[in-house]
Amino acid sequence: MTFWIIAALLTLAASLAVLWPFLRTRAGRSDHPLAHDIEVYRDQLAEVERDAARGLIGSQEAVEARAEIGRRILRLDQALADDHGRAAMPTGRRWAATAAVLVVPVAGWALYMGLGSPTFGDQPLQARLERDVASSSIEELVARAERHLAENPEDGRGWEVLAPIYMRMGRYNEAETAFRNVIRLSGATADREAGHGEAIMAVAEGLVTEDARAAFERAVELQPGHPKASFYLATAEAQEGRRDEAAERFAALLAGLPVDSPWRGAVEQALGDVRGADAPDQPGPSAADIEAAEAMSPEERGEMIEAMVARLDDRLRDNPSDTEGWKRLVRSYIMLNRRDDALAALGRATTALEGEPERLREVREFAASLGLEGTETR
Amino acid sequence: MTRKQKRLSVIFGGLAFLGIATGLTFVALGQKTSYFYMPGDLEESAVAPGQRIRLGGLVEKGTVERGQGTRVAFGVTDTQATVRVAYDGILPDLFREEQGVVTEGAFGPDGVFLADSVLAKHDETYMPKEVADSLKEKGVWQE
Amino acid sequence: MVETGHFALVLAFVLALVQFAVPLAGARLRDERMMAVAEPVAITGFALTALSFAALVMAYVQSDFSVLNVYENSHSGKPLIFKITGTWGNHEGSMLLWVLILTFFGALVAFFGRNLPATLRANVLAVQGLVGAAFLLFLLATSNPFTRIPNPPLEGRDLNPILQDIGLAVHPPLLYLGYVGFSICFSFAAAALIEGRIDAAWARWVRPWTLAAWLFLTGGIAMGSYWAYYELGWGGFWFWDPVENASFLPWLTGTALLHSAIVMEKRSALKIWTILLSILTFSMSLLGTFLVRSGVLTSVHAFATDPTRGVFILAILVMFIGGSLALFAWRAQALTPGGLFQPVSREGALVLNNLFLTTAAATVLIGTLYPLLVEALTGDKISVGAPFFNMTFVPLVLPLLAIVPFGPLLAWKRADLAGVSQRLMAAFGGALLVTAAAFVVSDAASVFSALGVGLAAWLVLGAATDIALKAGIGKVRAGIALKRLAGLPLSAFGTALAHAGLGLTVLGIVAVTSFQVERFETMRPGDTLDIGAYSLRFEALRPFQGPNYTEDRGHFTWLDGDRELGEIVSAKRVYTARQFPTTEAGIATRGLSQMYVSLGDADSEGGIVVRAWWWPLVTLIWIGGLVMMAGGAVSLFDRRLRVGAPSRRARPPKAAEAAAG
Repeated sequence: MTFWIIAALLTLAASLAVLWPFLRTRAGRSDHPLAHDIEVYRDQLAEVERDAARGLIGSQEAVEARAEIGRRILRLDQALADDHGRAAMPTGRRWAATAAVLVVPVAGWALYMGLGSPTFGDQPLQARLERDVASSSIEELVARAERHLAENPEDGRGWEVLAPIYMRMGRYNEAETAFRNVIRLSGATADREAGHGEAIMAVAEGLVTEDARAAFERAVELQPGHPKASFYLATAEAQEGRRDEAAERFAALLAGLPVDSPWRGAVEQALGDVRGADAPDQPGPSAADIEAAEAMSPEERGEMIEAMVARLDDRLRDNPSDTEGWKRLVRSYIMLNRRDDALAALGRATTALEGEPERLREVREFAASLGLEGTETR
Repeated sequence: MTRKQKRLSVIFGGLAFLGIATGLTFVALGQKTSYFYMPGDLEESAVAPGQRIRLGGLVEKGTVERGQGTRVAFGVTDTQATVRVAYDGILPDLFREEQGVVTEGAFGPDGVFLADSVLAKHDETYMPKEVADSLKEKGVWQE
Repeated sequence: MVETGHFALVLAFVLALVQFAVPLAGARLRDERMMAVAEPVAITGFALTALSFAALVMAYVQSDFSVLNVYENSHSGKPLIFKITGTWGNHEGSMLLWVLILTFFGALVAFFGRNLPATLRANVLAVQGLVGAAFLLFLLATSNPFTRIPNPPLEGRDLNPILQDIGLAVHPPLLYLGYVGFSICFSFAAAALIEGRIDAAWARWVRPWTLAAWLFLTGGIAMGSYWAYYELGWGGFWFWDPVENASFLPWLTGTALLHSAIVMEKRSALKIWTILLSILTFSMSLLGTFLVRSGVLTSVHAFATDPTRGVFILAILVMFIGGSLALFAWRAQALTPGGLFQPVSREGALVLNNLFLTTAAATVLIGTLYPLLVEALTGDKISVGAPFFNMTFVPLVLPLLAIVPFGPLLAWKRADLAGVSQRLMAAFGGALLVTAAAFVVSDAASVFSALGVGLAAWLVLGAATDIALKAGIGKVRAGIALKRLAGLPLSAFGTALAHAGLGLTVLGIVAVTSFQVERFETMRPGDTLDIGAYSLRFEALRPFQGPNYTEDRGHFTWLDGDRELGEIVSAKRVYTARQFPTTEAGIATRGLSQMYVSLGDADSEGGIVVRAWWWPLVTLIWIGGLVMMAGGAVSLFDRRLRVGAPSRRARPPKAAEAAAG
């Protein structure tokens, strides 16, 4: 509401600025422009006198300058006498005044309505973060935690909470940093080292790198037989093609796992793959992810899918022209029963693919086939 | 000198000056400009050793070798061909593998490009324009 | 607030259109009311643009990521000062600043221009309104800084770290004050052409505006050069880069304009040429804006550019340059030529100055645009770099520098060259002595360097001679000389200062290019590197945590023999948000010279590549710029130049009434 009032006041001020000169009573023609020149020449004459008096110019120069300025004044007088000027046209003026005054509010508002977003209030970051916790999105909570940690970077507990959330959101680089901070501030435990290794691995797109392996080895050292660390160490061997050693390690791990361990399924599956003769190495984390998902409880599986969707979501922010990606994202949200998010994703796709109407139509038609009608976001 | 002669000498002086300026400009444009090439272009048109050119492309992955002191060598590629570049100096901050780079220098007799300046992109969303255009033409890189 | 800013910007655009159309029509009909519309509209337009700019700054300060521009160029973790300066560290914001300055100048003319002839004022403001409308349309149509995001993210993408620097806070506004300041000269020129006559008041008005714009542009260029010197870490003060040339071109033509405006004011001569120069200077400013904003040329300073905007600016460029030149071709004959003068005279010297400066500007322009031309014609990509400019620009400018001291000593209309040369003998002798001294001190390294130093001395001594002669120092008693010195017009001091500043800059450039020492080597802690007469000891490499970056700091001790002169800290910095590395050069000043250290990559054996320069007298390059600015400022305060010189008291009652109404 305030915005409309301010906008109205601004329009009024702008219109008045145009109207004001027309409202003044004294009308008429302006002074002849040439008359003004005489003033300037007179001033120059006075200047010459001053300079001559101070001795800045010689008397001969002063005489010449005076003569020249005098000649100019004479010429000007002649021109003034010759010129009679044209008369103004009062009717045309009234018409022009009306048009000029009207154009300000009309064109101003028309343009603004086309360009602006009058319903949008300001959204300063501080205010957004101070909103009620219950109504905050996960991103807002994370952002709040990040601000807290930016101010208290030595808060190990804070990093410990944040690290797995980053993993789940697919922000692996940040997860890696967070795990590193936890270990630096709160000391190493097997779980933390294993989490760190997993983050490094996720950054490397599922490949167990040197650094990741070192982290897993530290975890196993701290707690022999730590399931996650052992699992990934075995995976590393499998990735390197040392199938026998990997199988051995998987088998040893399986033997040590309690009956109700969520890892059992994953390990069994992996063991089967390693022993199975020519199981092709599937690139990336997806194979391991799917295997792990099978071994998980429904909640864990749900979280895992969410994380994958979040990852896709994130990727599309960086690479918004990926038509297939948008389709997958919309479908995922529908399958997760998150209709609002699906709509939002469609909205984002609309913005992102604005310049490519054909691809946009493709996405929209696909969404419509899932029963999602794209409402115009703007 | 008469008034007319004076005036003529002034005009001729001015014209002579403009003539010198024009001449200098043309000579300098002929001598002091350097052409831009991608490694693939060099297969078609040979560049004589010692001729100054600008060579642009991507820093090929795994080719950066640091030698003695500040000496460094790397491959510049446009995926069709690769040119070995030797450089003695400090690489720019944003010099990275598989990123755009423009080097300036001349080929040595052994076919190695001796660069005396190396420019990398200035901003992570900025690719040297010549490199970006040429790569786009070749269909290697898209925005 | 954000939407208020957006709305204000739209209103400012509409007002700019009114400011163009109504006063222009009024001036034709000689209708006082219609012409009077220009002033309140120009002032209101400025107020609205300022409101809009304030709204954007506010959005940056509050990290309002619902504004696309803020999201793309800011980060909540940035220090407050860089949040504010980040407002104009990007395309949209900097264009808004451009328009803000434009409307500001328009408002100044409206405010201080009450004593201008009414038609001239109306026409000037109308042209100014048209320029404003074109750029406001450009902003709203292609680069709207107020575009919103429906679901705002919680963190921004951060500003390019090399722009997070205090130099950036100052450099663009100064540069824009210069660029846009010339728009006033342009508007005056266009107004004169529209009216078909030049008032006596014209030159009086144009000269201070040129001076002010030139002053800011000088500052902006000097600032930009210093920023590149310390922030890019390559240790160079001028690269003949297209973007640098873009700011240098209006400076060259602006300097020419400054001098031709003197002739025009004092002698009513060179009218047509001055008009043309005004048009050319602003055209160069527009061209500069186009080159920087369109990214058609590869440049070390080009940040994220967009070709569609380039096309729009190109259209503006064609419209204003083409339009004004067409107007010039059509109306220039209507202007009456002014006074006559002999070739050897102050006027003649200033014409020579203009000839040199515009020719030099032309070579720079050709060098800058040639690659574009070649690419358009043949498809070949070429680059024109420093060697080209050293071969063309430098030899053209050297003779100009050599004759600078003569100019202020020559009399108007016809002068006695022999007499003037005689009076300059002392300065010439001094310069010869300095040349000889430089030759000996530098161990006869190069005749050219010694001559360069001598040329700089000649400029400074020539400027001093000018003042000494005007005050009669050495001819009359000291008391009288002092009195006359105090009575000298400020513009005389301004001229002398500006010319001396030019000499200082030349001295800095000659000293640096001839006598700099550069070394680079891999160093380990404890190693010492000899550089010129000094040496550097590498102490250690220590990590350091900044507010939004981490860095490895190399600590060096600067030694003169065994004596420690101080510590120099040079760093490799990584900005965490973007994982963006930068080099922070370590610079230590001693007298007018600087030691400059930058770090390269670390090698596997614990050593690090260190590149160090000894730059003798380098600070003079920028100090000279400051002195030139001071000269401009002093001139600006000369009462005779001050805006609206004709005093009201001296006016007959009728004219006074008209001016007040």
